[in-house]
Amino acid sequence: MLKTFTLFFSALFFFLFSLSAQETYTVSGTVRDGESGETLIGATVSVPARDVGTITNEYGFYSFTVAGGDSLSIIYSYVGFQSHTRKILLDRNISLDVELGSGVQLDEVVVKANSFEEQLNSTEMSVEVITTKEARLIPVLLGESDILKTIQLKPGIPSGSEGTTGLFVRGGGSDQNLIVLDEAVVYNANHLFGFFSTFNTDAVKDLKIYKGGFPAQYGGRLSSVIDVKLKEGNNKKLAGSGGIGLIASRLTVEGPIQKEKSSFIVSGRRTYVDLLTRGVNRANEGNEDYDPIPNYYFYDLNTKINFQFGEKDRLFLSGYFGRDVFGFDGDFFDFNFDWGNATGTARWNHVFNPKLFANTTFTYSDYQYNITNRLTGFNFEVGSNIRDANFKSDFYWALNNQHTFRFGANLTRHQFSVGRLQAGTDDGLINFSAGQEFAALEGGLYFSDDWSVSDRLKINYGLRLSGFNNENQTYAGLEPRFSSRYILTERLSLKASYARMYQYLHLVASSGITLPTDIWYPSTQQVKPQRSDQVAAGFSYLLGSRYFLTIEGYYKDQQNVLEFVDGAQLFANDDLEQEFAIGKGRGYGLELSIEKKEGALTGWIGYTLAFVERGEFNLLDDSKRFAQQGYFSPVFDRRHDLSVVAMYELNRRLSFTATFVYGSGDLRWLPTGRFSFGDVSGSDFEPVVPDYEERNNYRLPPYHRLDLGAVWRFFPTWGESDLTFSVINAYDRRNTFFIYLEPEFSEVETNGNTLSFPEKIAAKQVSLFPILPSITWNFKF
Amino acid sequence: MKWLPISILTFLVGFFCWSCNLEKEIEIDLPDYDPKAVVECYLQPGKPFQLLLTRSASYFAPFDTNTSDLLQNLLVNGAKVSVSHAGNRYDLNNQLVIDQEAQKLYNYFNEELVPQNYTDDFELYIELLDGSTITGTTQLLPVVSFDSIVVEFQEGDTLARALTYFTDIPNENNYYRRMLHHNSLDSLPMQDFTLDDRVVEDAVVFGTGYEFKAGDTIYNTLFHIDRTYFDFLESVNNAVLSNGNPFGQPSPINSKLEGTARSVGIFTGLSYTREMTIVDEP
Repeated sequence: MLKTFTLFFSALFFFLFSLSAQETYTVSGTVRDGESGETLIGATVSVPARDVGTITNEYGFYSFTVAGGDSLSIIYSYVGFQSHTRKILLDRNISLDVELGSGVQLDEVVVKANSFEEQLNSTEMSVEVITTKEARLIPVLLGESDILKTIQLKPGIPSGSEGTTGLFVRGGGSDQNLIVLDEAVVYNANHLFGFFSTFNTDAVKDLKIYKGGFPAQYGGRLSSVIDVKLKEGNNKKLAGSGGIGLIASRLTVEGPIQKEKSSFIVSGRRTYVDLLTRGVNRANEGNEDYDPIPNYYFYDLNTKINFQFGEKDRLFLSGYFGRDVFGFDGDFFDFNFDWGNATGTARWNHVFNPKLFANTTFTYSDYQYNITNRLTGFNFEVGSNIRDANFKSDFYWALNNQHTFRFGANLTRHQFSVGRLQAGTDDGLINFSAGQEFAALEGGLYFSDDWSVSDRLKINYGLRLSGFNNENQTYAGLEPRFSSRYILTERLSLKASYARMYQYLHLVASSGITLPTDIWYPSTQQVKPQRSDQVAAGFSYLLGSRYFLTIEGYYKDQQNVLEFVDGAQLFANDDLEQEFAIGKGRGYGLELSIEKKEGALTGWIGYTLAFVERGEFNLLDDSKRFAQQGYFSPVFDRRHDLSVVAMYELNRRLSFTATFVYGSGDLRWLPTGRFSFGDVSGSDFEPVVPDYEERNNYRLPPYHRLDLGAVWRFFPTWGESDLTFSVINAYDRRNTFFIYLEPEFSEVETNGNTLSFPEKIAAKQVSLFPILPSITWNFKF
Repeated sequence: MKWLPISILTFLVGFFCWSCNLEKEIEIDLPDYDPKAVVECYLQPGKPFQLLLTRSASYFAPFDTNTSDLLQNLLVNGAKVSVSHAGNRYDLNNQLVIDQEAQKLYNYFNEELVPQNYTDDFELYIELLDGSTITGTTQLLPVVSFDSIVVEFQEGDTLARALTYFTDIPNENNYYRRMLHHNSLDSLPMQDFTLDDRVVEDAVVFGTGYEFKAGDTIYNTLFHIDRTYFDFLESVNNAVLSNGNPFGQPSPINSKLEGTARSVGIFTGLSYTREMTIVDEP
């Protein structure tokens, strides 16, 4: 297979080199924010007179080729910035770095129409982008902005339980999302069991999610790629920003190390509810009737520095460290539970020539959780972790205006420690341990071409060869990628895509919510890699100059998806894969979005109609059981999902936001029957044993919620500040967070003994949020 | 270790929801349920054949408060029940009996004693009034004895712990259920858990916290159980635990009973050793 792949590459490059011998000149460079020096991703660069255009790549680099000789006007534009026109005499290859001014007095019509035009013309489909500006405006929990939760308001990305960050993209599981922060994989992007994400909006440049039509440079997960880029730091002046909220505060400082050559950014945040609870606990020391409140906090720290070496080289070093810490101690125990990610990225950008740009990256990623408890004379420790060291090299080659190639390779070494357990008494009399260790290699080799076949037809085709080795078991897979757009009229483009993805790592998660104790498990001889094939088709339509309509349909087939056998034993299990059942999945649906980016009122409406099924599960251990027959819907099979987001800028000082979401209820697996169980002794009698039959047999009530927000800005001499008001769940809807079933007993005195008899079983619904007003003070200098 | 974060989350969410009055009782419309026959039969060498045959109910079906209604609706009578073993057939009569020692009720009984035969299968056959059948097979397992039970006090304290040792039968996969009762066998056990010997060494020790004082009585019971009973107990425990736990993983009952009737339950041999220990003065 590798030989075929190599031959294919060689033939292709020979063909392409033969195409390149033409009398043309290349204009290349980087587009930046004039205020901070940050590179701008996706900025449009066009030469209207020659009908030539391109956009900057994820590193701000652009390159295009035109015939020389004439004076040319090049227009640079980016949403929220003033467009900028440069006139050049093109008699040689030109390197042209451009800075765009902020959009306070911008000609918005031009800039925003260009943005839609780019979406219309791009071969990319099934892509959503959230900017930090949007994330800051849209209120989420307790006044904290959260870019990962804001993306859930886009169509096709339903979240898990209320308030959590689990993503179920186009019928995929929450483990099927590749989340990368500055190209380092983040294995658990959650704080506080998913109520907050690990991404501090102040430190993030932007977030892009691919739901389908995956570019060939991405691999390793079936359902989505969430690419988060950190800011690079202001290379012109020292600046800062931060905020003080009800539960957390944050501070970001950035500035030049050497003006316009190198910069840094450091950003941190921490919750402080624990400071209050510690005080309350201290005040009640000695009070026998007082039950101490557990302490909980999370914090995270982002940092990045970058250096420009000459015109062709740039080095970036970035890191993330975050932890959630839960502690609870009493007279007889000392319980501690912490979990978190650490990532590090070293990245080198090199411009070989005006057409060839390279990005070489080394990343390190670590996710772990640790639980320790000390009881009198007894203690235990439980933990798991996954560590990755990854090297990758990506090349961006703008051969001519018809072909832009990307090719590269990556290699990752994974180290897993799964279900590590150590328990015993202080004197060593009782001592037991469990756990598994794995070391695995994962690699990928890819090539893609963004090919303008004609003025109307553009296709992006590519191929990825992925491989995985663990315990002398090697898997390899060819992953063809294809996407295309056909411009039917200047306002209407048709798009279609196909992507095959392999996933070699599996998340062992037993509940419907994201838990820090969910375990990543590698493919082994028995546990095959997951595979998906997704086709999508749709169209984009520019309605006037203000509205952009996108409709997409998709079908996704999945092989080797994981479920657990009935009554799976996931704790202290040295052979975890016996507890797996391997099956198939399929999802299909329709997504619609209407977006408005221009004018005082902006926002979007997104609607998704989706169907998801899983079935045909086979056991890896025949002594286990998977009673469910046929296909069934997973808990996240949400039929309808609607989101309406409106942002209204009344004036420079005041803006308002409103977000309304509606979703069909998720599914739950509830018992349909019950029986009483006598057990071997009458004292162990269990009056209500639930009898679970069909999986996920009950649909929760629909979910809907309205959130309102307002930002009131001030412009003091030292900078800028604002008060952000938000009201979550404005009409106090009691949405279902979970339901539980509780037998209620009556007690009868008989011959001096108290006997309990079941009277009824009550179904209780628990909601998470009442109406929740909050206020946050943000500042920037 | 799923229960730890789940417990923490439940605590935090529960506390928050309670403080904000975010919990309410709701009506739930579940899919229709066709009741099953529920079988419990534990064969103990030297004891009579006894079997309890009841029926399950829809999850939200009302509970009977009147004892006669309760028995009428709960017990399945009129079935033909027999246990075959080593060429002999033992028919169990449909009669209510109370096992005074275990404080349990049975509705099928044969006073003949279960033979102490560890090699031949016992086969259960039940024919319900509608002609549908339930079958099951089991064997008696040898008793595994305790090696020792050690009670020791913490230095300078009046509270003691109990360490219970036994040796797992080597070179085969075994399952155990261990119970510890404090002062009375009629009470709920202080410890009750099942054990798959794949997660332990050959020498097994169970410990308790320092919670016994001089004069207390400790009853240690070790059941040597088969895989069927182990799976059944695990699934019952999981089902009960997930019932009140919104984040738990639901668990269908793992019952190996076969036949044409819808059924759930357990047919197993019961081999156990039990020791009583009185805590002495330190």
